[in-house]
Amino acid sequence: MLKGWVRQQNRANRSATMSLALIGMLNVVTGMVLMWSLASMLATWLAGGQHATPYPMVVLFIIASLVRVFLGYLQETLALHVGEEARKRLRRSIVERFFAQGPSLLRHQHSAALAAMVTDRVEALEGYFARWLPASALWVVAQWSVVVVVFWQNHHAGYILGACCLFLPVFQAVFGIATAIASRRQILALNRLQVRFLDRIRGIATIVLSGNAVKDSEELGHAADELRQRTMKVLRVAFLTSASTDLAMIVALIGIVIDQHHRLQQGSFSSIESIIFAVLMVPEAFAPFRALSAAYQDRAQITHSGEALQKLPALQAPITPERTSSVAPERTKAGIALDVRDVSYRWVEDRPLALDHVSFHLEPGQIALLTGPSGAGKSTLIEALLGFIRPLEGQISLGGVDIQTLHPADVTRQISWIGQKPVLFAGSLKENIMFAAPHASEAQFQAALEASAITHYLPLLPEGVETRLGEGGFGLSGGQAQRIAIARAFLKDASLLIMDEPTAHLDPETEGDILTALKPLLQGRTAVISTHSQQFQGIGERYHLLMEQGRLTVQEGQS
Amino acid sequence: MKRFYPLIKVWQARWLRLFIGLILAELSICAAFLLMGQTGSRLGLIATAGAFVTFGLLRWAGSARLILRYGERLATHDATFRVLADIRLWFYRRLARGAAAGLGFRRTGDLLTRLVSDVQSLDSLYLRIIIPLATALLSLPIVIFICLKGSMLLAFSIAIIFCLTAFILPAFMARMSYRWGPVLQQAQSEMNNQALELVSGMKELRIFGQEDAAKARLFAAEEAFYQAQRQQSRAMARTHTLALFLTRLGVICALGGCAGLFFSKEQAVIGITVLFVVMTALNNIVDLPRAGLIAGQVCHAAERIIEATKMPVSQPPEGSRPAPKGYDITAQALSFGWSEGRSTLKNINFTLREGERVALIGPSGAGKSSLAALLLKVVLPQEGCLTLGGTDIADIKTEIVRERIAWLSQASHLFDDTIRANLLLGREAPSDEVIWAALEQAQIADFVRSLPDGLESWVGENGSQLSGGQGRRIALARVLLSNAPILILDEPCTGLDIDTERAFLKTLNQLDRSRTILLITHRLTGIEQLDRLWTLQDGLLTSHIP
Repeated sequence: MLKGWVRQQNRANRSATMSLALIGMLNVVTGMVLMWSLASMLATWLAGGQHATPYPMVVLFIIASLVRVFLGYLQETLALHVGEEARKRLRRSIVERFFAQGPSLLRHQHSAALAAMVTDRVEALEGYFARWLPASALWVVAQWSVVVVVFWQNHHAGYILGACCLFLPVFQAVFGIATAIASRRQILALNRLQVRFLDRIRGIATIVLSGNAVKDSEELGHAADELRQRTMKVLRVAFLTSASTDLAMIVALIGIVIDQHHRLQQGSFSSIESIIFAVLMVPEAFAPFRALSAAYQDRAQITHSGEALQKLPALQAPITPERTSSVAPERTKAGIALDVRDVSYRWVEDRPLALDHVSFHLEPGQIALLTGPSGAGKSTLIEALLGFIRPLEGQISLGGVDIQTLHPADVTRQISWIGQKPVLFAGSLKENIMFAAPHASEAQFQAALEASAITHYLPLLPEGVETRLGEGGFGLSGGQAQRIAIARAFLKDASLLIMDEPTAHLDPETEGDILTALKPLLQGRTAVISTHSQQFQGIGERYHLLMEQGRLTVQEGQS
Repeated sequence: MKRFYPLIKVWQARWLRLFIGLILAELSICAAFLLMGQTGSRLGLIATAGAFVTFGLLRWAGSARLILRYGERLATHDATFRVLADIRLWFYRRLARGAAAGLGFRRTGDLLTRLVSDVQSLDSLYLRIIIPLATALLSLPIVIFICLKGSMLLAFSIAIIFCLTAFILPAFMARMSYRWGPVLQQAQSEMNNQALELVSGMKELRIFGQEDAAKARLFAAEEAFYQAQRQQSRAMARTHTLALFLTRLGVICALGGCAGLFFSKEQAVIGITVLFVVMTALNNIVDLPRAGLIAGQVCHAAERIIEATKMPVSQPPEGSRPAPKGYDITAQALSFGWSEGRSTLKNINFTLREGERVALIGPSGAGKSSLAALLLKVVLPQEGCLTLGGTDIADIKTEIVRERIAWLSQASHLFDDTIRANLLLGREAPSDEVIWAALEQAQIADFVRSLPDGLESWVGENGSQLSGGQGRRIALARVLLSNAPILILDEPCTGLDIDTERAFLKTLNQLDRSRTILLITHRLTGIEQLDRLWTLQDGLLTSHIP
């Protein structure tokens, strides 16, 4: 699952990865030219005074130097671009996924965790796309092309460099496995300890106010010390990996110098130029691998993000095939007819049904009061009516049309909803109401303010309808906020009104006010209201639904 | 620099280890110079003389570099993690002594998360800024010394190039990143807010057909953030390119030396040695401008940490009086406001007798939580006095006040630990029977018993393994277990859905009547068996008998 997802990410990013790797390869080739010109200049000078300065080589060296600087710039800016594009792409795909799943997602995971998935989790992946992927695509090819070129210039130096490079994967395997073992032993403890510090700090007020701060800080001290010891245990092994890279490089360097000396003593005809070239190329041969090691941290991030995404519940199969109905649901003056037939649903396999063959019918304009104990399936029924979840069996019809055959947007167009507490977005009060119907006129907006009785508390707000609400804005009381939800419903003017405990968090007095505001809203609309409040009993033509353990046990009409 | 003094003091305690790490790093860079210098000179000798070249020093330099590098890595990381552990503890203690109590009355989860990652980011100060800078400082005289063997002019030009790359460019980068820090952070938190709105408002967005608009807002915020980020990254890329260019220029200068520009061609062996050393030195400093970038960020992090750990000005005194005998609470002519001139409580008088059950109701912002803060000695009243058992709360030891008065609110935190640890919070462990009795009272015992690990079950991050109501019950059991004779329940139902709230209030109604209970709430639904009812409006408190 996870591997498949990572592979998919890598594939989506392949062309960007390849262009970065290509620039990296060009950089390596330029490095060869640079070092070759340098080697031949040095060889000329070392040979003694009679040789003139090789000017073509000087020019070549300067050009290669400048090209390298330019390639460095190109690589960095392209990496920035790639990292940004990859993050954007990933963020869009996660947001799409969220919306495909719909609001029922919030039942599975906390909104802060979900929000982190599209922010921090995505941001953390910049290095993976911009550095790790290109480096891992490049390093083997780059390293061995250096070895080949050195071999072409000087066979023996090529053998030594090749042997040292060959050892690199062996070292990596040995120490890499050792590190993996060491960290597997430690990582769980490490994570726990790291999380623990954050957790303690977040809850510091609770500890201080319970008078336990001193004892707790001692405990935290031990934990912090343990964290350090465990980290060092992992690092001691992990540093062996970097030391092995150093070792391979130093051995190559010294080996080539000494070996070439012996060969010259024995009368070999290697050119000085090729010897110097081989020595100069040693760091170049190891540079791609170093770049890879430096990006190693970035690699772990993709696993973290991938795991978080895997925790999302599986998507229900898409429902497109049957979306055939071109008939718009019929709305009458009194409202719209709602028909629920044999609807069943379960949240988790192996658990009892949350909705167990629920059926009822509402004529246009009827108001159903839905009651029942906690966990009886009221909210599940409401989510099914809102189209957030798709029943496993049965059908829900609106104005005589099965909602499965309608486009989701056509379904929500017919429905307004008022929950326990409305979410207020960062923005003005007006924006918070107008988003229910962006094309509504000023007159309609004023009418909604009037009808929801927001006009009563408007004078108390510092800037009237332009007062900023939401994060960092003006804090409305529960009753005031609920009126915003009512104004939204007025403005949207849908024929079916669904309410989920709209007055649950209000005191009786405010509840009475809200009910007064709700009455005109219920005119000409069909409504399903989940509530415990007695005050709703007097709200108009009613139909009573009682839910118990996923079943409708009582349904009776009263007028 | 002076504002960082408290932090520097924490670092000072580990000076020896930090110093050893530094020395090892310096030795390691010396070995690198020796290795490359030897490689260069041996190559020169092989080419010119041919015979009698010795390689002893080269071998030694190679092994020394290898061992020192490993030692350096270990020593510097060890020192860093020690300091980091110290800083964590220091930060926790400072926060606990100063601002922490007040944090319970504010919404600060994100702020604290930020601070914790700020503390984490301090590890780059030593590893990625101080160490590279110190090695660069040492490299400079070595390089100059070796270049002087060639010529004065060469040494001079290399020194200038070196200083530009190693010191001037990083300083410039640090200034830039310091200036952009707040802009970037602002843009990022705007993006985070949009993401949070998109997720938490999913129902509204779906019902009102605004999903595309919300997406557009998120992506606009993202674009603004990336634009700010791009600006900084491009500056970084340009600076890095400049550094690359300078180092190439340095190599060309050194090459000029070999070509006989600065000294005679006969000294070719010295020329190649100088070239190798200069190349090594410049390669080591080419990434320093990046360290400058980090320096700017670390500076901001350190500032935020210092700011957060500052002692609040009007900190209530520790107090010295022991626990009083009785537990009646009286308030006389009490006035309080969080900021000067705006009092939320005006001239309040009340008596809360031992064992009484009182509900304090009033609209939000009426000062209900301020009263809880006063009782817990988080703040002091501006006028009047508050006594516990006849002794002014300000004079009683803070810890004792908080042992006698337990507080439960929506902000009561559940730790990512076992249920047992969450109940005890570091207190001496009473017998299991006592713990179960508290769980029984909080009506959560059956649930805990049903868990496979019982009391040792992990509750998850902020109680994520529990439902909202279960979590609040665990917190209630913790408060009951504390033996405090007075309980303040400060809007304990906020954030619970309505079914859970009803069940939780039912639990509260069934608590035994041995303790004083002050229930702070904004509405009265679901609360029974009260002795008295206080209403708080416009800063005035009135008492009724229900």
